[in-house]
Amino acid sequence: MKASMTKLFSLAVALLATIQLSAKDYDVQDFGAVADGIALNTNTIQYAIDFVHNNGGGRLVFHAGTYLTGSIYIKSNVTLHLERGATLLGSTNPLDYNFEKRCGWHSMIFAIDQENIGITGQGVIDGQGFTTAINRLNLIHRGFNPGNDVIPYDRPREWNRPQNIYFRECKNITIKDITLRDPASWNQTYDQCVNLYVDNIYVDSKSYWNNDGIDIVDCKDVIVKNSFFDAADDVLCLKSHSAEHMCENVVIDNCVGRSSANGLKFGTVSRGGFKNITVTNMTIYDTYRSAITFAAVDGAHIENILVDGVRSINTGNVIYLRIGNRWSKGKEPIMKDITIKNVYAEVPFHKADAGYSYEGPIEDLPRNISPASIVGLPEYKIENVTLENVEIVYPGAGNPYYAKVGLTPEELDGIPEQADRYPEFSQFKELPAWGMYIRHANGIHFKNVTFKALASDYRPAIVLDDVNGGTFEGMQYIEPNSEGKNQLFDYKSQNIEIK
Amino acid sequence: MNKLKLIALALVSVCTLSLSAQVTYKASYFGVKSDGSTLNTRSIQKAIDHISEQGGGTLEFYVGRYLTGTLNLKSNVTIQLHEGAVLVGVTSPYDYFAAGDTKAIICAEGQENIAVTGKGVIQGQGTLLQGKVQTQIDKGNLKESLAQASPALISLKNCTNVKIEGINLQNPCGNVMVYSDCKDVTLNNLAVTSRQTANSQGVLFSGCTGFTMTDCYFDTTGTALVSGGNSTGVTISGCKTPDGKQLKAKK
Repeated sequence: MKASMTKLFSLAVALLATIQLSAKDYDVQDFGAVADGIALNTNTIQYAIDFVHNNGGGRLVFHAGTYLTGSIYIKSNVTLHLERGATLLGSTNPLDYNFEKRCGWHSMIFAIDQENIGITGQGVIDGQGFTTAINRLNLIHRGFNPGNDVIPYDRPREWNRPQNIYFRECKNITIKDITLRDPASWNQTYDQCVNLYVDNIYVDSKSYWNNDGIDIVDCKDVIVKNSFFDAADDVLCLKSHSAEHMCENVVIDNCVGRSSANGLKFGTVSRGGFKNITVTNMTIYDTYRSAITFAAVDGAHIENILVDGVRSINTGNVIYLRIGNRWSKGKEPIMKDITIKNVYAEVPFHKADAGYSYEGPIEDLPRNISPASIVGLPEYKIENVTLENVEIVYPGAGNPYYAKVGLTPEELDGIPEQADRYPEFSQFKELPAWGMYIRHANGIHFKNVTFKALASDYRPAIVLDDVNGGTFEGMQYIEPNSEGKNQLFDYKSQNIEIK
Repeated sequence: MNKLKLIALALVSVCTLSLSAQVTYKASYFGVKSDGSTLNTRSIQKAIDHISEQGGGTLEFYVGRYLTGTLNLKSNVTIQLHEGAVLVGVTSPYDYFAAGDTKAIICAEGQENIAVTGKGVIQGQGTLLQGKVQTQIDKGNLKESLAQASPALISLKNCTNVKIEGINLQNPCGNVMVYSDCKDVTLNNLAVTSRQTANSQGVLFSGCTGFTMTDCYFDTTGTALVSGGNSTGVTISGCKTPDGKQLKAKK
C-alpha cells in the first residue's frame, strides 16, 4: 500500500515535470527585442510577457545578447529564461524605472500578485547600479527631486534606487541558475511570497550602497540552496516589514557568502518575526560584521531557529543576537529557542573586508576586537540559546589604554542599553569580554565551546550580566600568558553551572 | 510700527545667521564618489577652492571611502569627516605633493582658519604606497630619499588657527602629522595608529606659536611626539601611548 502510494506520488511529480517542460517557449527576439545593449526594450519585453501570459503561459527565452531594459512586470505562468550569454541590462537612466507603491521601491523586474513565475537559465541580470545611482544623485543636485529626497548620507534613499528584482505577494516562484549583478539598491526582494525556490544562483552585488545578496521578507515556505553571494551589504537577509506577517518555514542550505556587512541576518526591519528556520552548511568569509546576526528590534518574534554547520573565516564577528526596541510600537519582542552548532570561526585583527568596493564603515571607535554577543533588554530577555561544538579564534590583544571596560559594577552597569539604536555587533563600542558577552538572557547552554585568543587580552573570555540559568560544559579557553586567569565572569547572574 | 520692528528684527537675525552659520556642502555635489576606487583628488580640490572663494564653509564627507592624492586645504575651509567616512590615500607616489618639506594627503601652506573634524578616518595605505615608492627609487625614477618620498597624512606649514579634532589617523606611508611655523594649532581627541611602516612618527612640530594637543592616543612605530624646538605656548595633556605612558612636551 505504502509502495503504491509512493509510486503514485512519483507519477504525479513526473507528470507535473512534463507539464512544466511542455509549457511553450517564446523567443523574445520574435517580438522585436534587440540584443545590442543600446536599444531600450522595456515595452517590447513587457508586451512579450503579457502575450505569453495571455496565451496559457510558458518561458520567454532570451538568447545570447544584451537586452537593455527599464522596469518590467512578470505575470502568472511566465518564466523569464535567460540562456547562457544573455544579459538583461538595467538602464542607467533612473527615470526608466517605476516606483511601485505596493513595494515602496524602484525595481527592474517586478511581480505583484502573480503565481507560477520564475527566472531561470545561466544568463545574467545586471543592474548597472553604480551609474544609475550616481545619475539619480546628479538629478537631485540639479534640483529635479521627485519625492524630495534629502540624501541623508549623501546618497539617494534606498527606495529611490532600483534593485534587480522585487516580487510582492506571489506564489510558486522559481529562481534558478541565474547570475545577479550590480543593483543600485538591495538586489532581490521577495516580499510576502509563498513557496519560493532559489537554487544555484550567483550574486555579485557590490556596486553601490545597500547592495544586499537576497532579501526574503515575510515569506512562507522558502528554500534557498547551493548559491553564492558577494555583497556590499547583508548577504542572506531575512526581514519582516509587516507586524502581521513573518518569515516562516525557511531552509537555507549549502550557501557561501561574503559581505561588507553581515552574513546571515534576521532584520534589521523586524516587525512580525522569524519562525522555524533552518540554516545548514553555510560558509561566510571576508565579511566585515557578523557571520550571524539575529535582530528583534521592531517587535519581532524569533523562535525555533537552527544553524548547523558554519565556517566563518576572516569575518569580523561571529554571532550577534539582539533584542532592541526601535520601531516596536508596543509589540513585545521575543527571541527564544536558538541553536547554533558545529561552528568554526576565525576573527581577524585587521579589517576583514579591506579592498572590496563599498567597504563597511569604520565606526564605533575606540574599541578593541569585539566579542560575539547575546544582548537582550532588562524587560525582554533572550531565552534558551544553545551553542554546541563551537570554536572561535580571536586575535586578542585588547589594550586597556586604547579602550577599556573593566569588571567593576560601575563599568558593567555603565554599558548603555541602546534599545533604540541600529543593531550592530560594534554598537556598544568597548565590551568587557574578548570571546562572548551575554546580557539580559535566560537559559544559555554552551557545550564543547572553545575560545582561543592569539595574543593576551586584558579582558576575560566571557562576561555574563543578568543571566538567569546557564550551563557551560566542556569549555576551553586558550590565551597566552593566562595562567590562573578567570575566563568566565558572572555578574548579577543566577543558576550558572560550570561542568 | 510693529510691522517695521518685526522686519528690522528679521533683517538683523538673517544677518546674524549668515555671519555665524557655516555654509555646508555635501561632497557629492562636486561629483566626489564614495566607492573607494574613483580617484577624487581633482573634485575634492575644486570643492575646497570653491568653498574658500565663496568665503568659507564646511565640506562634508558622509560614510564611504574617498580615494584621493594630495589636497591643499584653503583658508576658512573645514573638512568634516562624519563617522564612517574615510579619506583614503591613493597608492601611486606621483599623486603626492608637499607643503614645506613634507608630502601629505592633506597639505596647507600660508592658510588660516582651517580644520579637519568628525569621527571619520584618514588612511594612508602605508604598506602599499611605500612599496611603490621604493620601487620608483630603485628604478632611479624618483630622486628622493625614502623618507622624503613617503607622504604623511597631514602636513601644514605657516598656517594660522588650525583645528584637527575627533578623527582617526591610520597607517600613513611616512610620519603621521607635521606642523611647521604654524600659529594656534589645536589637536584634540585623535586616535593615531601607524604600524604599517617603520619609524613612523606621530606628530612633529617646530617653530609653532601656540600648540595645544589634548586627549590623543598614539600607537606608532616611531616616536609619538617630536618637537623640533623653537615652539612657544606648547600644551600637551591627556595623550597616551599603548603602554599607558603620558606624552609630555620637552622643555
